[in-house]
Amino acid sequence: MIDARIDRRGLLVAGAGLALAGCGVNDSGGGSKEETEKPIPKKVDGDLVYFNWSEYMDPAVIKGFEKEYGVKVRQSYFDSMSAMMSKLRSGIAYDVIFPTAEYAQRLIQGNQLRKIDRGRLKNADLVYSTFDKPWYDDGSEHTTPYTMYATGLGYRADNVPDMSGSWRDLGEADSGGKTFLLDDFQEGIGMANQVNGHDLNAADDDALSEAKDYLLELKPKLRGFSSDTITTMTSGNANIQHLWNGDIVNIRNQVDNPENFKFQKCKEGIPVGSDTLAIPVKAKHPGTALLFIEWLLRPEIAAQNVAWIGYPMPYESGATESFESLVKDDPSINVTVDDLENGEQFENLGRDDRRAWDRTWTEVKAS
Amino acid sequence: MSQGRFAAGFLVPGALWLVLLFAVPLGIVLAISFGTTDDLGNTLYGWYPENYEQVFDPVFLPVLARSVGFALATVALCLLIGYPVAYYIAIFGGRWKHVLVAMVVLPFFVNYLVRTYAWIAMLGDEGVVNGALGADIKFINTPWAVIGGLVYGYLVFMILPLYAALDRMDPALIEAGKDLYGSPWHTFRNVTLPHTIQGVLAGTVLVFLPAVGDFVAAQLLGGPDSYMVGNLIQQQFFAAENWPFGAALTTVLMAFLFVWMVLYLRSAAREATAE
Amino acid sequence: MKPPKDFDRPRFLKAFTALFFVFLFAPIVLVVLFSFNSSKSLQNFDGFSLRWYEQFFGSESLRDSLAASVQIALVTMVVATIIGTLLAYGLVRSRTRWSGGLNVLMLVPLVTPEIVAGVSALLVFTQVGLQLSLTTIILGHITFSISYVTVVVRARLAALGLDVEEAAMDLGATRLDTFRLITLPAVWPAILASGLLVFALSFDDFVMSFFTTGESPQPLPVRIWSAIRFGVTPTINAIGTFMLAVSVLTIGLAIALPRLLGRRESGVGVLFGREAA
Repeated sequence: MIDARIDRRGLLVAGAGLALAGCGVNDSGGGSKEETEKPIPKKVDGDLVYFNWSEYMDPAVIKGFEKEYGVKVRQSYFDSMSAMMSKLRSGIAYDVIFPTAEYAQRLIQGNQLRKIDRGRLKNADLVYSTFDKPWYDDGSEHTTPYTMYATGLGYRADNVPDMSGSWRDLGEADSGGKTFLLDDFQEGIGMANQVNGHDLNAADDDALSEAKDYLLELKPKLRGFSSDTITTMTSGNANIQHLWNGDIVNIRNQVDNPENFKFQKCKEGIPVGSDTLAIPVKAKHPGTALLFIEWLLRPEIAAQNVAWIGYPMPYESGATESFESLVKDDPSINVTVDDLENGEQFENLGRDDRRAWDRTWTEVKAS
Repeated sequence: MSQGRFAAGFLVPGALWLVLLFAVPLGIVLAISFGTTDDLGNTLYGWYPENYEQVFDPVFLPVLARSVGFALATVALCLLIGYPVAYYIAIFGGRWKHVLVAMVVLPFFVNYLVRTYAWIAMLGDEGVVNGALGADIKFINTPWAVIGGLVYGYLVFMILPLYAALDRMDPALIEAGKDLYGSPWHTFRNVTLPHTIQGVLAGTVLVFLPAVGDFVAAQLLGGPDSYMVGNLIQQQFFAAENWPFGAALTTVLMAFLFVWMVLYLRSAAREATAE
Repeated sequence: MKPPKDFDRPRFLKAFTALFFVFLFAPIVLVVLFSFNSSKSLQNFDGFSLRWYEQFFGSESLRDSLAASVQIALVTMVVATIIGTLLAYGLVRSRTRWSGGLNVLMLVPLVTPEIVAGVSALLVFTQVGLQLSLTTIILGHITFSISYVTVVVRARLAALGLDVEEAAMDLGATRLDTFRLITLPAVWPAILASGLLVFALSFDDFVMSFFTTGESPQPLPVRIWSAIRFGVTPTINAIGTFMLAVSVLTIGLAIALPRLLGRRESGVGVLFGREAA
């Protein structure tokens, strides 16, 4: 019955696996440099295969595009950059994707994004000039910025009287023990670096060891780690939640007493980031994708989208005005060009630094 | 036995499918567990057994211990709650027996996430329960919330085998037991329990093994000290993009669970030949 | 089974079981109730409305997801029951060198953590170069479903015994005819019950689907997972209620169909391998 046969079977299985393994390295999904440079004709060439975070674009905006150009938008969603990457690597031919800035850089380095000649797009001049030479995309040739965001502390002004404008409020303000940190190793270690006076992206042993000490000291005072920031705040489980500025906008939309929900940018540093629009090299309908990007640049469309997603889009006039009016009673929620130029952005850490960050984070969470 | 040969042919489709689509994938996981990643995060094959050294790093010991602890607590609670319910339905259910069993199974088919978020809404600090009690009790983000979530999710896997075992029992045995032992408790301990022990073991295995690897309950309901091995694995595959380490963790976890499963199968086999 | 004759009325057990059902259904009641809420609130019920169901059925992308989930579940059900039944028959009615190992292999998916099953499925598909699509989801679902069918059908087969089959063969029936005309009809309730169980499991599956899904449409539970982080909208509650209704129907069929088809016991009894009472 159950005896040595299992061992034999186990060996067979492992052997098969190893044999298959010998067949090839994981396909990185990249193309050649020429494939990325080929200009994209600006015309409809099929339905749009769209891959984005969930709830990150107004469905009406998508429907509008479908009507205007007579195409269908086939939508699927990811819930982390890693999930996006693994789906990309698995060979699915998406037409438009939304990588964060540092992942955009990775994709560009791997020759995985097509060149977008933004000059040919109408309203391209509305994009903030900061994005003409972004650090992650030299010459801004392969991406178009989609949104900007800043990380800070969301809090209940009616429950927490003593916020002091610092990251240290996480451990020191009187939140009745209802404080949450983002369950995100990048945001967690980055914040700890800023508290300790280091660069946001510091990855040397000293910085990480200090970060670990700070986080371990903070941990017992936390109620939990959560990236479900909207749920924690609207359910009343959180009085202080580490989150992104757009989340506060969405939270305020869902509660009966929005004036009690505020956003604090912290004096030690404001991690700032942007999400981008990009066309993968394997896209089968890049023309439609190009038209889609142009659609989003339209001031009235951008304005509509901003109002729905609650995050600022870095385009002048429509988008900017729309967000300003969204946050007019609490302008600190806004991310301005100033913040972008002076705030710190998450960089694309190399493999070893990234491992070191993750290792530190895991040790904090595991102990 | 030629009927045996005829029937043996029937094994082929299932065997092929399971080997190709289950055993081989697990083999690939094993292969990747010895690999590494390049700078862009892609997985590369190779020979890096240090992934396994990392698994046994003492910093992860509490995580594994906690997972086993939570899973054991879940099993214990599932037994304490599930056995009386299964007993009532099997023995006193009468005509409604099948409906009652269906009702036990039913909630299981509402999407797990939707149910869990409903609990968060109910037990949140400003939720229904606290509102009704006029209190501010912290239910969510505690270890007990995680165990509660696990129990809620896996209870059905305990009740069903217990019900099956109890239902198969001959009522005459219980009557005889009552005559012999007098009190219900002694009857239970000396007659009912031994006769349903296979059901208890089956339920235990069906709850314990998946509970150890669960990640959703800890993520949604847990506090800062609720990190389980399933979360650790998930972190490696999703955030850290360290698939080899994740694969190594997975392999060790499965080996650990496999040992228990084999022990259970041995006991079930012995029981079957004894009957 | 009738309760033993001189048992006390089980007051405690009855109360305990009732309390158990209250806790079991509490969140379900909440979900159903608030799916009909006319406002967005999850705390106050502001009146009855079907607007969230309109949103659900009015969204083409959600409808596509629903259709995908149904399609996946149906195909999974059919294929898994066929393969699982054949496997059960082979395991019970034959004894080969491989039977022991195959038995273990068949049981392992039942206790494999879902994240492991999902990741390994994704790995094998990407290694082999198979495009992720509805097909890959179906392949993944079938893999974890076969075991449920085999376990249920096997219990039924074992309880049936060889007598009738041997009698048929003594009377000159071929092995194939015996299987077709004697065995199959006798285990049919078990096949049906396990098939419906597989349907329900597939329809609600999230983890395996998440790893093996291609571009759109994504199955419903995957959609819920992505969306639920942004707050539970009443539309999600409407989706949950709808899935509940589908499952009620499925289980209702599982219980009623064998009875309607002239068997004396219901599907639930069959699920646990008892002989017809």
